[in-house]
Amino acid sequence: MSARVERLNDRLSRIWAYVFTGTMVLFSLFPVYWVLATSLKTKRDGLANPPLWLFDPTSTNFLKLWTHDTFKYTFLNSVIVTIIGVALSLAIAIPTAYAIVRMKVRGRNLVGIWLILAYMLPEFLFVLPMFSLYQWTGLYDTHVGLALMYQVHVLPLSIWLLSSFFREINPAIDEAARIEGASNLQILTKIYIPCTFPGMVATAILNAIWIWNELAIALGLTFSKAQTVTLGVTSFRGYAALDWGAMTAASIIAIVPMLLFAVIAQKHIVKGLTLGAVKG
Amino acid sequence: MITALKSLGNASAFWFILPCILVLGLTSLYPVGFGLVVSLTNWNWGNQFDFVGATNYAELLRDAEFWTVMRNTVVFATSATAIEIALGFYLAVQVDKLAIRTDLIQALIMLPLMVSGIVVALMSKVMFDPFLGIVNHLIGAFGFGPSAFYGAAGSAMPSIVAVDAWWQTAFVFIIMLAGLRGLPTDPVEAARVEGASEFTTFWHIKFPMLQSLLITVIIIRAIDTLKVFDIVFGTTGGGPGQATEVVQTYVYRTAYSYQQIGKAMATMILFSILILGVALALQILQRRGEVDR
Repeated sequence: MSARVERLNDRLSRIWAYVFTGTMVLFSLFPVYWVLATSLKTKRDGLANPPLWLFDPTSTNFLKLWTHDTFKYTFLNSVIVTIIGVALSLAIAIPTAYAIVRMKVRGRNLVGIWLILAYMLPEFLFVLPMFSLYQWTGLYDTHVGLALMYQVHVLPLSIWLLSSFFREINPAIDEAARIEGASNLQILTKIYIPCTFPGMVATAILNAIWIWNELAIALGLTFSKAQTVTLGVTSFRGYAALDWGAMTAASIIAIVPMLLFAVIAQKHIVKGLTLGAVKG
Repeated sequence: MITALKSLGNASAFWFILPCILVLGLTSLYPVGFGLVVSLTNWNWGNQFDFVGATNYAELLRDAEFWTVMRNTVVFATSATAIEIALGFYLAVQVDKLAIRTDLIQALIMLPLMVSGIVVALMSKVMFDPFLGIVNHLIGAFGFGPSAFYGAAGSAMPSIVAVDAWWQTAFVFIIMLAGLRGLPTDPVEAARVEGASEFTTFWHIKFPMLQSLLITVIIIRAIDTLKVFDIVFGTTGGGPGQATEVVQTYVYRTAYSYQQIGKAMATMILFSILILGVALALQILQRRGEVDR
């Protein structure tokens, strides 16, 4: 091939890369845009045939949700469960990751396999037997109970992520601190936690996203008091045929907190996902 | 008990990992242990709790419904994983070629990943509505359709696969893009100087270096799609008929609607063995690839 054909080829391939990427961006955005548009339509506009591209936006659907008590509480419940779940996961995973990386733990490989199994086995394998235990112990349909059960998934991921962040710290620093008389707990809280703060944030965000979006475990272990927003949205499932406005408005409200996360913390999320995949 | 655990390491390490062992023990060891017992009984959540041996397992393996559900799950997982891997990896290769900053592009493509499965399901119900949905309207403009989507046995499964592809392709994309960008530049430059075409460079130099990462992503997607629940539960609920019934929706129904908890647990245990088998097989493939090089 002559150099000119070669250059032309390269240019065509570059142009195709832009076209294809643009198409995929549209493909990713369009459904979200369309659902947002539907949530801003009146009932008549929403069910128009052919679908309307231009319409007078209305906030009716969102205002109606605001007075929809059940949905409001599920949103609040999700905020509470997410906060408890994330706090619990960090409180447990930080010392565990430190011990795995920097202390002598016999059976370390066994713990590793246990984490992988807990992370990868299906939800209902864990949820069904827990249902009865939760009813006996009063944990059923409580925020704490749900946040506790979520640890089966978020703990392994948190421990993998945090151990890889901790490994980046030079162990010579530990030695120096230990000679000064610092205990493991002091080394962890004074050196490791401050030094890996961005990593902690990444871990917390990934856990929050997972907990906020989880459905199967919440479905199995809550009934009314602790129902999460994913279940709140599920209750609009039956509206599919009649009231798209309510259903789409609920969907938008349920995803807004996560979209904010995505905008604010995109770098953290990418880092967490990538590390998680490499470790897991 | 405490002394046995203490032998795991020195006293200090023991206290550091004790909370993790306790919580993971409660949330995973206990349910699997108790679940194994339950799978050998005819428990109905109530007073009926008799040991029936391996009856649940034997009946499941003879049950045509069980095999339909297993087949649906495997068909869904295989097609969704294949499409997501192909599309996500190809997109990563294309974005890697772009000569501009791609932070914004990455953020926009990542958007679907932030959406919960149940919301994805409801969104798709609005868009896939056979009469008023935008998708039939759009494909109609190109002379296709209309399709019944979730409404017909033939189109329901492909629709759910398409929805999963929209939802999760970005995961493959993000990991593979990070992989591509982390590759050493020297061998690639050397090949280009030697006059190798873009395709040759990719296939003979970049791809072999990414193979292990690619298999990792395949493992993650395969396991995740096998466990599918939200988007089936939120769209077809397993229908029409049993066209889209998958293991986790089937088990949910068996346990909560029919109160056959023993049978539900037996299904879950057989299914877990399948998942472990798939994960192990793929990992062996990965190890072999690494040894070859």
